[in-house]
Amino acid sequence: MSAPTADASVDTGARGYLRFFAASLRKRVLLMVRYPVNFFSTIANMLILFAAVFYGGRAIAPTAISNSIEGIIVGYLLWTLSMSAFSGLSWNVTRESQWGTLEQLFMSPFGFGRVMLAKTVTNVLVSFFTGSLVLLFMMTVTGRWLAIDPLTLLPLGVLAVAPAVGIGFALGGLAIRFKRVENLFQIMQFVFIGLIAAPVSQYPLLKWLPLAQGSQLLRTAMKDGVALWALPAGEIGVLVVTAVGYLGLGYAAFHYCQRWARREGVMGHY
Amino acid sequence: MSQTTDRPQQADDDDSDASSSAASVQSTAPTGDTVLSVSDLRKTYGDGEDGVTAVDGVSLDVNRGEVVGVLGPNGAGKTTTIKSILGLVVPSSGSVEIAGVDADDDPRGVYRHVGAMLEGARNVYWKLTVRENLEFFAALGGNDPEAARSRHDKLLDQFNLAEKADDAVNELSRGQKQKVSLAATLARGTDVVFLDEPTLGLDVEASLELRRELRRLADEDDITVVLSSHDMDVVEDVCDRVVILSDGRVIADDPVEELVGVFETQAYRVVAAGQLPGEVRSRLVRDYRVENFDVLDDRTRFDVTLGDDDSLHGVLGVLDDAGHDLLDVDGLEPDLEDVFLDVTGRASGGDGQ
Repeated sequence: MSAPTADASVDTGARGYLRFFAASLRKRVLLMVRYPVNFFSTIANMLILFAAVFYGGRAIAPTAISNSIEGIIVGYLLWTLSMSAFSGLSWNVTRESQWGTLEQLFMSPFGFGRVMLAKTVTNVLVSFFTGSLVLLFMMTVTGRWLAIDPLTLLPLGVLAVAPAVGIGFALGGLAIRFKRVENLFQIMQFVFIGLIAAPVSQYPLLKWLPLAQGSQLLRTAMKDGVALWALPAGEIGVLVVTAVGYLGLGYAAFHYCQRWARREGVMGHY
Repeated sequence: MSQTTDRPQQADDDDSDASSSAASVQSTAPTGDTVLSVSDLRKTYGDGEDGVTAVDGVSLDVNRGEVVGVLGPNGAGKTTTIKSILGLVVPSSGSVEIAGVDADDDPRGVYRHVGAMLEGARNVYWKLTVRENLEFFAALGGNDPEAARSRHDKLLDQFNLAEKADDAVNELSRGQKQKVSLAATLARGTDVVFLDEPTLGLDVEASLELRRELRRLADEDDITVVLSSHDMDVVEDVCDRVVILSDGRVIADDPVEELVGVFETQAYRVVAAGQLPGEVRSRLVRDYRVENFDVLDDRTRFDVTLGDDDSLHGVLGVLDDAGHDLLDVDGLEPDLEDVFLDVTGRASGGDGQ
């Protein structure tokens, strides 16, 4: 027999990539199912915290809560989505780096960038799944049913979450380079609350911060039932620019950090 | 020495033949096609006076189907060399070509041909089953998992993992986990695999099995294996050729048979009856490399390391002359460091490297 024909069976084109994407999604779901405690405790945390905010708030200030409940639901949904997309990425990179599988991902003929892209999309899909569960729970508990138009919500949601993914990339990169940065991950949940609750209508400049504009537009769409195409084009523009911008910056930081880690020879060292 | 005579034939159609002409170390005669070519690879951490050189001009050519062992004391730069070849560490300079693809020009292209199992890493997902791992890594390597299934079945059979195919990896024994890592590395079907300490932590039986498999991969499937190991037996059993690194440099690159002599036991632990009188001891010490005298009630134990001109008979003769019965002789495993020192001496005295 002659040499193995390894090259011939390797397909790094669209079909091969789709197969890899399917394999990533399958892996992600299997890992989620096999670490059920992790998965369910995350969701349970989200639900319990919301219940505490809602019932606690209603006991203390019934009018205030009932006037702002829609805003709270949308903000909380975006927070859930962002946290899930962010931590899915940053924790996952950290864990893969500890497991020593990150190096295997790196040595893919698709290239690390495309491997990470598949991971990101998988993550966002999973976030939307947990997000819908949380949304359903919130609407059931509060009895307030918001406008759910998938054609409006999905694109808005993806764009709104993109900056959180960017931040996930940046911190994942820091984790590869500097290792123990988990504390920074914890802090981010409070930063996200601040960004989502940013008073954009009072201080318009704040809409350029990550998550702020997405939060604003999601609220308009869900509370007032405004469709995507009825939103002001300028506002959508800001959303797109911040989404692409923060995602791009975060990915660039990630790329820089992984190269830095490889220069220092610390990729996957734990 | 020029590398142009052993250019990879595979590469003719996709690459210009720009040969990096750094002197390659005395590699063995390149008969087959070169599938891995490393030339003057260097890695320095930090810069200026604080800089630490981990890899210092490593050059290496490996033919298809060859098994090459990379040996060296701790800190010799084995892992850094392997990771630099793989791009997991960015080398400071030098070039790497795998199956005719230049790692610098086309880093992704290289990974079509090479896979690796790294030391101290799980390399696989412990919560996934054995087969799920093979499928994921095949897809990661751009293979069609369906098409690769028969290869995976074969791998599972070969590694005695077929019964465990649907068990999660973390339920398996350590040896089995190690085999899963190796199988996942091979699941992609690359031409070249790097294995960093593949038998570390395995019991003797598992290690023997793994060695057999590695040898078979090279002989039957023409897979090229570069492995690093601390274990002389593994290297002796599996490798065609041994590259010894010291301080980030290649100090020897020889067929394994030539180094076997060095690996062979040349040190013995001798137990003689009674207590040896002073003059016998001093005669032994004077004429032979004898040390570690240990006097017990009715016997004396000592270690002897034979030099080139010595024979064990000579040592035993001294005891015989003095009327001491020989109770026991045991071969002592040579200290790895001694072997390296020996080779270092030979290399600097002989081949000028």
